[in-house]
Amino acid sequence: MIASTLSQLSMRAEDALLPVAIALPVGAMLLALCLGGRWTERIAVAFMPIGVSIAGAVAYVVWRDQRPLVYFIGGWAPPLGVAIRADGVAAAMLLTSALIASAAGLFACDVFRVKPGEKENRAHLGFWTLLLAIWAALNCVFVGWDLFSIYVGLEMLTFAAVPLVCLKGQKETFVAAMRYLLFALLGSVLYLLGATLVYAAYGSLDIGILAQKIQPEAAAWIALGAMTAGLLAKTALFPLHIWLPPAHAGAAPPASAILSALVVKGSFFVVVRLWLTLAPVQMSEAPAELLAILGSVAIFAGSVLALRQERLKLMIAYSTVAQIGYLFLMFPLAIGQHPWASAAWSGGALQAISHAFAKAAMFLSAGLIVDVVGHDRLSGLRGLGRLAPQPVLIFALAGMSLMGLPPSGGFNAKWLLMSASVQSGHWALALVMAVGGLLTAAYLYRVIAPALAPAENAPAESASTPTPKASSRGAALSLALALAAILLGFAPPELASLLAVGAPAATIERIE
Amino acid sequence: MNAVTLAGLAGAALIGMGLFGLVTHSHILRKIVAFNVIGSGVFLLFGAVARRGAASGLNADPVPQALVITGIVVAFSATALAVALLLRYFKEVGSPFLADDPGAGASQPDHERP
Amino acid sequence: MNDAALALSTFAYGPQTLAAALGAPLVLMLACASARLRRFGPAYLVVAPLFALAACVLASDSGPLVLDQMIYPIVLVLDPPGALLLGVTSLLWLAAGIFAASSMRDETESGAFVAFWLATLVGNIGVFMAADVASFYLFFALVSLPAYGLIVAQARMADSAGGLYVSVALLGEAFLILAFALLASATPDHSLLISDGVDALPASPWRDATIGLLIAGFGTKIGLLPLHVWMPSTYRAAPVAAAAVLSGGAVNAGVIGLVRFFPWGHAVPVWGEALVVLGMSAAFYGVAIGLTQRNPKTMLAYSSISQMGLVAATLGAGLVAGNKGAAAGAALYAAHHGLAKGGLFLAVGVLSGCGTLRMRRLTPFVGLLALSLAGLPFSGGVIAKLAIKQPLGDGLLGALSTLSAIATTLLMLHFLRRVAALAEPRVSNPGWALITPMFAMIAASIMAPTAYYFAIENHRLVSLDAALFWESLWPILVGALIAAAARRWLERLPALPEGDVGAFAARPFGLFARGGAAADRGEIILRRWPVAAGALMVVAIMISGMGVLKP
Repeated sequence: MIASTLSQLSMRAEDALLPVAIALPVGAMLLALCLGGRWTERIAVAFMPIGVSIAGAVAYVVWRDQRPLVYFIGGWAPPLGVAIRADGVAAAMLLTSALIASAAGLFACDVFRVKPGEKENRAHLGFWTLLLAIWAALNCVFVGWDLFSIYVGLEMLTFAAVPLVCLKGQKETFVAAMRYLLFALLGSVLYLLGATLVYAAYGSLDIGILAQKIQPEAAAWIALGAMTAGLLAKTALFPLHIWLPPAHAGAAPPASAILSALVVKGSFFVVVRLWLTLAPVQMSEAPAELLAILGSVAIFAGSVLALRQERLKLMIAYSTVAQIGYLFLMFPLAIGQHPWASAAWSGGALQAISHAFAKAAMFLSAGLIVDVVGHDRLSGLRGLGRLAPQPVLIFALAGMSLMGLPPSGGFNAKWLLMSASVQSGHWALALVMAVGGLLTAAYLYRVIAPALAPAENAPAESASTPTPKASSRGAALSLALALAAILLGFAPPELASLLAVGAPAATIERIE
Repeated sequence: MNAVTLAGLAGAALIGMGLFGLVTHSHILRKIVAFNVIGSGVFLLFGAVARRGAASGLNADPVPQALVITGIVVAFSATALAVALLLRYFKEVGSPFLADDPGAGASQPDHERP
Repeated sequence: MNDAALALSTFAYGPQTLAAALGAPLVLMLACASARLRRFGPAYLVVAPLFALAACVLASDSGPLVLDQMIYPIVLVLDPPGALLLGVTSLLWLAAGIFAASSMRDETESGAFVAFWLATLVGNIGVFMAADVASFYLFFALVSLPAYGLIVAQARMADSAGGLYVSVALLGEAFLILAFALLASATPDHSLLISDGVDALPASPWRDATIGLLIAGFGTKIGLLPLHVWMPSTYRAAPVAAAAVLSGGAVNAGVIGLVRFFPWGHAVPVWGEALVVLGMSAAFYGVAIGLTQRNPKTMLAYSSISQMGLVAATLGAGLVAGNKGAAAGAALYAAHHGLAKGGLFLAVGVLSGCGTLRMRRLTPFVGLLALSLAGLPFSGGVIAKLAIKQPLGDGLLGALSTLSAIATTLLMLHFLRRVAALAEPRVSNPGWALITPMFAMIAASIMAPTAYYFAIENHRLVSLDAALFWESLWPILVGALIAAAARRWLERLPALPEGDVGAFAARPFGLFARGGAAADRGEIILRRWPVAAGALMVVAIMISGMGVLKP
């Protein structure tokens, strides 16, 4: 064992990117917390290019070498030590979260800046440190290759996300944050219980070792069941979604963007790890079907509820509930060594990434719309297209990706998943995707149609009071995010080859 | 029944009691306490696992002990955050219960410009 | 493959002109984002289709253009039916662009209308060139969805036309993506090339599902019964120029789809017969409902439903027999219909602002265009009728086709009477910028089908045959006689609601609303803590139970 440990110790310099990706944002967060005042914003903004470069470097190295980056903490390989590892999907998620966190953070400069002469308050200090904490936690979850370090990352993610919900200090946001926290705590304790049982049964928490050891037996089933339920609660998969809409809709726009685009993806990513990497194929078949069924119900229920909302941000939040459902359709398609499994794997990853960009852009554009019209009632959006064309354009571009219309990342993801479901005989899933796209279009129509219609009484009103303009920097940032979701539709083949690094089929080959 | 089995069973009982409390009690503070009861149960279970020496075949496995300490720190932070949020919640909402009755409807924040 | 094909091309830069045809409107569309460049919007409408017009000459039969720097490579190629439809469509867009630039100053200088116009144009040009499934779907979406912005540009507030249009368009998109996924999955290497998919289709395990979904998807675009409900209200609500490009250009995206994706050379009797029945029913149903309408634009929409029914019947007959000629015939028929129908919509725009005297002078020309749809001798229509004669055959279908020419004559004469009622003595007469596009369409509707028929298809000069002359004239004479005899009766017909059966389609929405209310109630129950936490436990137990309970 020691010989094999030593042979694995030949780590490369590139592998050290991974601990840096976790440690640097933590360090920046602590520094920001200590210095306080206007330094919090400066440190967070200064960290953004560094964080994006690290994530970009990880993605580049993984793509170049066509193999995952692995780092053993303290030089000790598992089973004695702890490994962190970035495969293609993890690297892509690292880069996605770095880009979105940066864009949302820069957007927030207008919202959470300590203006000269103004006293620093809780929200100012809080937003920037929480942003850095979420960034660090997400990196930890994405590169974690050990059930316990993933647990720590998930907890950090929850602890940073809950205060972000109630940063504005309104009564409703505390109700939403409380519900979110209690639900997340129940979820995390279930996850910890599952991890304990796994350790009791197999004596390791390393995902690579467990993937070889784990057997379809009672202990493994109960452990995975508890962990999955805990993770689903944090991911807000139907019927565990009730905390999400008020929490995501109530927060400030940049906070909503981060919560909806990134935070739910962290726990989703761990579900993927559990059932597609860790559990053996014969074990994951039945639960994968259950996850897809819950996902399908989430698509219908989330979309119908989005159609029922009267408020823009609540509608977008329910759209997140529906889009989370799409993510879970990949499970029955991506298991096993079938020819369609790799398409489903890439499709699922692409769905997560393009939803992240599109939803962040949508929440930010909703923030711009609220700035212009002064409210977020869907009934009061008539003539918005003339008043503020940019936010409407951004909303529509992001909506294209959510509907799965070409060209967009959403379309590519839908196409990959749909082809996989046809080839694997999962007809129902293909239908769910088609109908889900129609329902998505239906609720987005409720915003876009009145916005394009001529205003009822705009000339008289706008003559008396000058309408507030949307911030041009905010518009540029959210437009960039929406364009990213669209440009993923023109993604080069290199993206596919990045996502395929460390895909389940490849993992099994490597172990054998 | 040896000590390890007893510890394991006690841990399981704590987890069950805690889960029951977390689901049924409506007072938020009680939910937080119930969460801690579950946490203690899991740590006790982990202790039993350590004594059994799951991984290394040693008499006592050191890894779970390290994990339990980390877990306790996490649970402590979670409790601190939850209590702090509860204090603020009580100040804003005026009740230590979750507003989840059908008529609450408090979850539709209004973004009227002042 | 690229090099070999390039060597064959007649014009060395043919493929690049395809890129220019798509790129020019895209660049102009981006220019609309700038406030300074937006002012030249009217000019963009005129300039944008010129590149496509050039491409249909320069790139015809040249090699494909392959852009393979993406996960899904884009392959563009222009085959003869594609080139024909591209040519007439870009001509129509040019004419309508001139009309819109002079008749809609406010809209065309504000940016959004021009952007929607150009996006729809890109889609409409692109569908005729796309050789792979992914880019076809992209262009089809572009020709369908941005058109919403054109339809509502001048619509009244409570008008539901735009909503109905976009619902049906999205339904079509959903059908098509399913069909395309089936098509690509049936090829051995999951190829995205349309030709590969169509080659593999006859042996595909999902052959019938694929063809059914294709018919439904493209049926939404050509207004196949019962997916035609959007057409009347859309064409009525849209500004004249937009109605012209939608009825004459966008509709052909559906035709080219059926032409491209059907497995010609393999008989598919069941779906072919279904298409024949639906198409022939539409041919008469459209006329019957159209006769009851008051608004000339709505009447033209019903005429489109009827004419597209004939196209569908032709394609269906070809599908039954595995007859490749049906595709070429249907494409030619659709090309002529596009020019004539687009011209007629422009004519409605011209005549509705016309004084009585000018109206009297212009009406014969409009009449020529209108009767061209029924196959008037020496018009383009007679070539179009000739093109679908062979696929439809001499039997029942041939007779029905002749009957439909009578019906079309009836509808078109009634239409002319309704248009004449629009004349107002005091209104100023339309300028040449409005009249010229209409005359251009009249000329094109005669010349384009004739030129194509004789040049590309290499047919003998059958059109001037005396028998053929009589054969195409008598249905029109009969139609005219009926129109004269039944004039009073036609005037008194009760007006059916526009969109006819569409009125019943609102019913499922009521059901949907009830389902939504149930979802609201479920949400309130789920929000209670014990229920929510209990659901979490149930999920944990379900997943665990899956293995533990298994023997």
